[in-house]
Formats: sequence, C-alpha cells, structure tokens
Amino acid sequence: MLTVDMLRAWGADTDDGMRRCMNNEAFYLRLADRTLRDDSFDRLKEAVEAKDRDRAFELAHALKGVTANLSLTPVQKPVTEMSDLLKAQADTDLSGLLAEILSQREKLLKQMD
Amino acid sequence: MMDETPNSGALTPDPELLSVGRKRKVLIVEDEYVNREILSAYLETEYETVCAETGAGAREIIRGHFDSLSLILLDLNLPDAHGLEILRWIRGDVHLSRIPVIVVTSDAESEVESLNLGAIDFISKPYPPEKVIRARVRRVIELVETRDLVRETSRDHLTGLYNREYFDHYAEQYDLFHPDEPMDALVVDINHFHIINERYGKAFGDEVLRRVGTAILGYVRDHGGAACRRYADTFLIYCPHADDYTVFADEMAATAGDGVKGRIRIRTGVYSRVDKSIAMNLRFDRAKSAADTIRNDFNTAVAEYDDTLHGQEIYAERLLDAFQEALDQKQFQVYFQPKFDIRPDMPALYGAEALVRWKHPELGMISPGVFVPLFESNGLVRDLDHYVWRETAAQLRKWKERFGKVIPVSVNVSRVDMLDPELLDTLRGLVEDSGLDYRDLHLEITESAYTQDAKQIISTVNTLRGMGFVIEMDDFGSGYSSLNMISTLPIDMLKVDMLFIRNAFSEGGDTRLLQVIVDIARSLSVPMIAEGVETREQMLALKDLGCDIVQGYYFSRPVPAEEFESFLQG
Repeated sequence: MLTVDMLRAWGADTDDGMRRCMNNEAFYLRLADRTLRDDSFDRLKEAVEAKDRDRAFELAHALKGVTANLSLTPVQKPVTEMSDLLKAQADTDLSGLLAEILSQREKLLKQMD
Repeated sequence: MMDETPNSGALTPDPELLSVGRKRKVLIVEDEYVNREILSAYLETEYETVCAETGAGAREIIRGHFDSLSLILLDLNLPDAHGLEILRWIRGDVHLSRIPVIVVTSDAESEVESLNLGAIDFISKPYPPEKVIRARVRRVIELVETRDLVRETSRDHLTGLYNREYFDHYAEQYDLFHPDEPMDALVVDINHFHIINERYGKAFGDEVLRRVGTAILGYVRDHGGAACRRYADTFLIYCPHADDYTVFADEMAATAGDGVKGRIRIRTGVYSRVDKSIAMNLRFDRAKSAADTIRNDFNTAVAEYDDTLHGQEIYAERLLDAFQEALDQKQFQVYFQPKFDIRPDMPALYGAEALVRWKHPELGMISPGVFVPLFESNGLVRDLDHYVWRETAAQLRKWKERFGKVIPVSVNVSRVDMLDPELLDTLRGLVEDSGLDYRDLHLEITESAYTQDAKQIISTVNTLRGMGFVIEMDDFGSGYSSLNMISTLPIDMLKVDMLFIRNAFSEGGDTRLLQVIVDIARSLSVPMIAEGVETREQMLALKDLGCDIVQGYYFSRPVPAEEFESFLQG
C-alpha cells in the first residue's frame, strides 16, 4: 500500500503534489499509484531500446506532464530531461536516463507491494 | 417562532443559484488519465465536465454539443492528433469558433502558436494551483458570454451583418476617427423581395438575403466600412468613397440570382461623398431616394443621389405640408373634361370626368402628375378624393337645378378608398344628400387595384354596383389582368390606358393592340372609352375600330365648371 510517507521518503514533493490534488490524500495516492504502475514506463523502455525516438518522445512527454502534476520528483526529473533531449533531436545516448527512470520506479514499486 | 428566512431572499433568488440547476458544460480533451482526473476534480463542482481521450473523440463531442459547450480545455499531445489541428478546425468553423479554447501544455513554445491560432488562454503543466485554474476558466467563460451577448444583439442573425443600431454607432465612430475621409452611403434594395418569397418560398428568400449579405460583407472587408440589414430586404453600407459601384452591384445580382430562373434585381442607391454635417439617417434617406428612382428601370442597377433629387424631395415635403391648408382654403379645383359618344354621325356629349387641379397661392398651378402620386403614396389621396367627390356632387346638383338635366360624371376612386371600410357609407351619404341618382356618378377604379387584394376589391365593387353606381375600369391594359380574370370582374365600362392610344397613333405605331382591346370590350359587352384622343384622325380611327366613347383634347381639355356649362347648353 502506497502512503504519503513512503512517497516523501522516496523523494517526491508530496506537499506540492497533495496541493494539486486539493489536499485529498486518497485522491493523490490513487493517482500516484496508478501512474507508477502504468505500463507507459515499459513502453518507454521498449521504444528507447528499439531507437524509436518519435514514440519515445511521445511517451516521455506524456510521463513528464503526469509526474510533474503529481510531483513524483525522482522520476519526473529524468523523464523531463529525456523528453527535452528527444524534442531537441539531440543524438545522445538515452540508456543512462532510462535506467535512472526505471530504477527509481522499481525502488518504490517494491515497497508498495 | 422566528422565521429565519429573510423575505428578500425568497423573493429574489440569486441568479448564481438559479444557474446551478444547469451547469455550464466544459470539455476536457486529455489523453492522460491522471491529468483528466485532476482537471475534472477541479471543475466538476462548478461545471458539468465531459472528457475526450483522443482527437477523434474530441471532434465527435464538439460536433454534437457545439451549442452547449461553454469551454474546451485542450491538451496538445493526443495519441491520434496534434491539439493544434483540433484548434485550427474549431476556429475555422463558423458554428464552432464561438467556443473558447484554453490550451493545456507543458511546452512553452506551443503557447505562442496556440494563442496565434485563436486559443483564448493557456494553462501550463505542471498545473498551477487549483484556484488559479478555476479562476481562469471562470473568467474566460464570463468574457465569452459577454462577447456573445454583444454579438447577439449587434448582429443580424440571418446575414451576420450589423443590426441598425450598432451600424449607426459604428458609422459615427468611423467618422470620428477618419474626419477627412470622403465617405459614401449606399442603400441596396432587392426589388419585389416579397414576390421572391412567394414564388420560391421563405427558405429561398432567406438564402437570397444571405447571399447578398455575404457579398456585402466581402465588399466592406476588402474596401473598409460597415454594413447592416434594415427591414427585410434593404441593406445599408457606409464605406470610403469609390467612383463606381457597378461591378459590385453586378456581383451582388449574380450571386443572388445564382440558380434562379427569373432574374433577381438589386437596386443600389449611392449618396456619394456624404455631407458629414447632416444626420446619419438622412444620408441613407438620400441614398434610398436615389435607389427609388430606378425602381422601374430594369436596365440600371446603380443610381447616384444628386441635388435635383434633393430639390424634388424638398418640394414634395412642401406640398405635403401645404395639403391640409389647401383643402381648407379650397385651393383644389375640380375641372371637367367632356366625354363624347362617337357612335352617331355627329358625336354627342355623353358625360365628363372630374379631374382635380391645384392652384397654390405661391407655387402656382401644380400638375396632378406631381401631387397625385405623392398623396397616393401616403394615403392623403383619400381626403383629396372625398373632397373631389363632394365638389363634383355639389356641381352636378347645381347643373341639375339650372339645366334640368344631369350628365354622368366619373370620379376617381383610389386603391386606398377601396380598402376604406367607410367607403360605402361615404358614397351613399354623398349621393343622398345632394339629391342625385346613383347612376349619375361613375366610379373610375384603376385596373391594377383589381389585381391586388382582388377578393376584397371585387366584393366592394359588387356592392357599389348593387347600389346603382356605374363602374368604369380605368387604365385598362396597364394592369396585366388576364383575359380570364377580366371576364369575371364586375365592370360596366372599360377605359383604355392612354398609352395604348398614344402608341397606336405615334409614328410607326400600329393599331392592332388597340383592336384587341376593343375586341375584349366587345366580348364583355361593355362600352369602351378612349382617353387622350387629340386629333380628328385618331377619333375617326377609333370609331372605325369600334370604340364607343372618346375623351381628349380633340374635343376639349379639362375645363372649370363655368366653362363646361357651354357643353351642357349646346
């Protein structure tokens, strides 16, 4: 079960995220839970590995918006960076960022289950 | 017990509360569940929210609810479409473009493009605090509703042009900011618009108005100025001066008449380089009077106002002002023009027509060709007719006393008289008070009166004949009545329109048409009267054709009563 304390300890700006969810803890946790379990992360991994940069951008961009709204800082930061790089069409290696995103998510998912 | 509900509250419900029953509808277009949930949570207490997750879904909802949507919140990154495409589609559709769109994006660069494309505002991601979003949504809806209200009241629904009030306001503002720019006032009038409505139906009539409206809107967009629709079928344009409007006029006629069998005729009156010291409505009155000069001239589409026209208007105004005094002071005089029966070897006096003359103390003799149409146009002719009838009856009575005999005299009965519910009483009183016979007074009713309001007029004429009046159909041949119709009309004599006589006897004219008229009279077994007969040759030709009675300068011009007495004595 995901809790606010868990998120705060993980590094999320829970005050900010809660405020955006009208300080409704249950609402906030429900959305955060759903986001972290969403298969967008897996699809992002597939796209990056397949070097499908357009698809990767779409997914990173979408995750950027959602994680920003919920202030899920540990994934929001690398997702935003990846989205910006893809948008700028920079020919950089994304595997580092991808690993960062996936490990942060994994870290929290383990505690949740 | 104390009543805790204040009365005022119960009597005047807060409009805010009233609107709760029907919340305004907001469409959220967003493919991410979390974002949708958050925005819905912010808005659902105040609004009815609907969501679309894809571009296609958004289009479907917008199409189905365009008249009830108060706002669209549009995410730019959709799985099947870019938000800007949707925005462009909304702005490009007349019906949809009314709906305000707030773009929601985490991409700062798209913000400018969104605003350029007509988004009214944007919200960034991560979302600003809830109260900020709610305040923006509320402000946009208020703004747009106010704008719609103004648009609603300032625009003509059918054509999208201004309505008259806003048009006047606009025109005055224009003058204020461009005091030295020469301006033109135009009146565009669709000829016989009611006939288009009757022939093709109101839906098509509206379509014609829309087409003309669109052409006018295009003109003012290209050349500046503003336009409005006034009454059903008249448009006003106030625009910077142009030398020639014929191309524009042709364009209007062409679009309006597209796909129509008959021609749709559009008259444009131009008051060029308006005098800005006169009131706005007077400028358009002048343009209108120019347009009216070509009402019956089918070859001219544009007429310019000139000062002669203005002179005529002032003259007409003066005559109208002088009318009542002229009646009171008996400035109107009744003249008599004899009618001769030409059937015998020696033409014999048959009767006369009473004709009105106006001797104005300052303006001198005024032609009935000037004042009769003027008084006909505003109903004053009724008072004038009554005056002529009374004077004629009094004169007949005098002659009856002096000469012991009476000849039938015809008087004009105008169309307005025929629609006057007191007509029968007026005429009955007139005949009985003067001790005349009904058959002494012939009533001339113009042919065209029978074609408008035919049923009522025919029933009135039947009653008049029943009383004993003799009915002459005046101006026969000018009113386009069909032969079929003529044969059913209650008439005692046919009086041929003077134009037929003129045409028949003018150089190169031919009398065949006249022969047709005589034949019609024959077939109806009524006597035929020809007026405007000027020479002996004409009289003899008419006699040969079979015409019965003749009136015209050949025998006598219209003369005052004293002079007419020589005919009675002879």
